[in-house]
Amino acid sequence: MMSSDEVAENAEESNILVWLTGLVFLATMIAIFIYVPTERTEGVVQRIMYFHIPCAWLSFFAFFVVFICSILFLWKKDREWDIYAHASAEIGVIFCSLVLITGPIWARPIWGAWWVWDARLTSTLILWIIYVSYLMLRAQSDPGSMRARYAAVLGIVGFLDIPLIHFSVLWWRAFHPQPKVITSEGIGKGMETGMLATLGISLCAFTLLYFLLMGVRVRQENLKDEIDRLKRETLYSS
Amino acid sequence: MDNLGFLFAANAFVWGGIIYYVYTIKQRNRALEKDLELLKETLSKEGR
Repeated sequence: MMSSDEVAENAEESNILVWLTGLVFLATMIAIFIYVPTERTEGVVQRIMYFHIPCAWLSFFAFFVVFICSILFLWKKDREWDIYAHASAEIGVIFCSLVLITGPIWARPIWGAWWVWDARLTSTLILWIIYVSYLMLRAQSDPGSMRARYAAVLGIVGFLDIPLIHFSVLWWRAFHPQPKVITSEGIGKGMETGMLATLGISLCAFTLLYFLLMGVRVRQENLKDEIDRLKRETLYSS
Repeated sequence: MDNLGFLFAANAFVWGGIIYYVYTIKQRNRALEKDLELLKETLSKEGR
């Protein structure tokens, strides 16, 4: 269990992260709604991109953490890695859901349709289904190493969909635009400087939010484990 | 301006989603605090 000094130190670090995340989000909102120029062909609706891409980045990053932590769990059999994977999968699903919501809202005025069964959209939907299944598997089965092992395998297999999502617009004819941030000419070459700066701030804000949420969820899961352990001890000793 | 409603909707969904998730975390925290209090009570009743 953590000492009171460690708890106080953790709380102070969390407070700094909360303020920093809040400030960067404020800067993001100012950049999106005041600073960034309106795109010529799509108009004001193109500003959805500054939410849509960071949500996608956050969910892919979260699933990458699930992938790494699941491998580490299967290798080291340490419950801590399972906690990290679980917390990250939950955050990933939330932001992947937001990608699947903001995408159609952006698509409707531009493509004239909420949804098309395009390779990128379909593979993103599959990714969402895989990680919702991951959370359902964890929720429906009994706690223990078997649950963690099955979840870890699903967490690793699910991540293999992400390279497919990235390259889908290059490999197949797609409605979804080609990558604008990571292009064959270099990072950010396909965008105007103001737009790239706004996207950069937004990506920073969402990344900070990820670390903030991860910290809270991991502490929560650790506390839950500690309470369960004490409950078992009380039960057996009485 | 055209399509302002779509921008507003996307913005609202993103903030709504984040706020809802933070709310569920708070709820889980509250449940854990209750569990902890109950555990403390049980232990003090048993004189430990």
